[in-house]
Amino acid sequence: MTDLISLTNVNKYYGDYHALRNIDLTIKTGEFFSLLGPSGCGKTTLLRTIAGFEGVSEGVVMIGGKNMAGVPANMRPTNMVFQSYAIFPHLTVAENVAFGLRKNKQMDKLQKSEAVDQALEMVGLKGFGDRQAHALSGGQRQRVALARALILKPKVLLLDEPLSALDKKMREQMQVELMRLQRHVGITFILVTHDQEEALVMSDRIAVMFDGEIGQMDDPETLYRRPNSRRVAEFIGKMNFLDADVKSVSDQITVDVAGLGTCTVNAEQAPSGIDTGKAAVGIRPETLAILFDGEKTERETIAGVVDEVVYYGDMTYYDVRIAGVDNTLNIAMKNLIGRPVLDVGAQTTVVWDARSLVLLP
Amino acid sequence: MSLRIYAIAYLIFLYAPIILLPIFAFNDATIIAFPLSGFTTEWFGELMTTKALHGAVQNSIFIAVITASLSTILGICAARAGAMYNFPLKRGILGLVMLPLVLPEIIVAVSLLIVVVQILDLGLSNWTVIAAHVLICTPFCIAILNGAFQNLDPSMEEAAMDLGESRWSAFRLVTFPLVMPGIISSFLIAFTISLDEFIIAFFLTGANPTMPVYIWGLLRFPSSLPIVMALGTILVALSIILLTIAEILRRRGMARVGVKDKGGFL
Repeated sequence: MTDLISLTNVNKYYGDYHALRNIDLTIKTGEFFSLLGPSGCGKTTLLRTIAGFEGVSEGVVMIGGKNMAGVPANMRPTNMVFQSYAIFPHLTVAENVAFGLRKNKQMDKLQKSEAVDQALEMVGLKGFGDRQAHALSGGQRQRVALARALILKPKVLLLDEPLSALDKKMREQMQVELMRLQRHVGITFILVTHDQEEALVMSDRIAVMFDGEIGQMDDPETLYRRPNSRRVAEFIGKMNFLDADVKSVSDQITVDVAGLGTCTVNAEQAPSGIDTGKAAVGIRPETLAILFDGEKTERETIAGVVDEVVYYGDMTYYDVRIAGVDNTLNIAMKNLIGRPVLDVGAQTTVVWDARSLVLLP
Repeated sequence: MSLRIYAIAYLIFLYAPIILLPIFAFNDATIIAFPLSGFTTEWFGELMTTKALHGAVQNSIFIAVITASLSTILGICAARAGAMYNFPLKRGILGLVMLPLVLPEIIVAVSLLIVVVQILDLGLSNWTVIAAHVLICTPFCIAILNGAFQNLDPSMEEAAMDLGESRWSAFRLVTFPLVMPGIISSFLIAFTISLDEFIIAFFLTGANPTMPVYIWGLLRFPSSLPIVMALGTILVALSIILLTIAEILRRRGMARVGVKDKGGFL
């Protein structure tokens, strides 16, 4: 895969407000790339600078090897699916989808209408061409917006929170459909979302943004298992944090963890450049376990008291208090056959493993 | 109950005098008084043959068409800016633009007269009336067009540009058709306001009076009162027809793009 998009040291100011800070990223052809972050982190601004709706204050945006400085949105090889879908309500579905073909002189009328039919079929709206666009449901509008963008065969499809207006069931269905569509057309997708689960499910790579800068850029698994900072760890999934004191750093890192004692972790469990001194340790709830009566473990254990129980049907989440730690540890347990649901106040044993710890500066 | 009586009385006082217009326009007597003496269309016939009136009507229509066009264009610019962009002092500026809506017309008329004659040293003509009418009509146009533009999704034009259209053709292909009912409605209302505006026209008109000014002149001659009634009848009918068309178009436009009606003037 080759680099299709590269942003070099991109900065964007609105007056005194620094909306994008030193953004460096490259996106490969055919990649499903996500910009993830809380609202106001600059992810939509970044998408709009790629689309050409916003200029950059500093830095270079390259698409397909061409510098995009001064190139307006209508001349860029990108198309966008807007958060509101921006379906033209005075046109029919087919007229909406054909909108981008207006300027295309190579195709005659028949070819255009065939292309429209194909695009509609691709998004599962075969036969909807004559419908008035304003009479469509949310999910159908989204499909029209996709067909309208994809019919132009852009190098990059930009998606601005495309699923946020849909209900949960529809959203999950569209996630799968978008992934299938992206594999089918082979076009690079850049997705903006604030939903970490959506980003993890769909993306090849994710850039997590905070306050206008990229906090971490990695594939979903690395991002989840090896976050490089506390704020990334907090934003993606659930994470327990314990105070820690790094004693020595070499191939292995020795660290004093509050409540768990001294343990040794591998160097890749910490971001590069970690030094001795105060730090934090992150533990995912599913990497901890409660030792039920009759179960045995070879791993480390520690005594605790159940502080809170949240029953989800398939899972039970326990908050467990251990000695020497102010906050409780959140533990996710599958409700397997024969496993009881513990009561608040129950004495219990927590199982943990140094291999699942993440050291955070 | 008493509230209902009040409402009915209110409507009677509001509209009863207008009902007198057609009654006496068809009454076969020069004196405006009951009892009615018989049916005639003579007064309407006389309207058709009065040359001076025709000049005044032509004047008024010329002024009203130009006024409606200019104030609708200004209204489009203001409403679009208000709906799509943020700029410093936005609320203050938009408020200032709407001010003529509540400014007494006599004040507007006198101050414009001073500006035009004393300061700019220009002659009075149809164009001075047009300038003043644009001033008082524009706020109405903005109010109507605001509704049309605020119902518009701001990403609509961006989507058109994203699909390869230039800024202007995006406006022409997407925004313009969507706000078209609002534009027509704004044009018709500005036209109606300008057509029967009296005070400003009275102060600023040149050698050729507008229709309301001409009617006012007629009132000095009691014998021509029935003609005024006949003319008034036509004007009221015309105004009602135009405003109804304006409102129908506005509502149809709302329904066509499937948005909720957020009011308007009627």
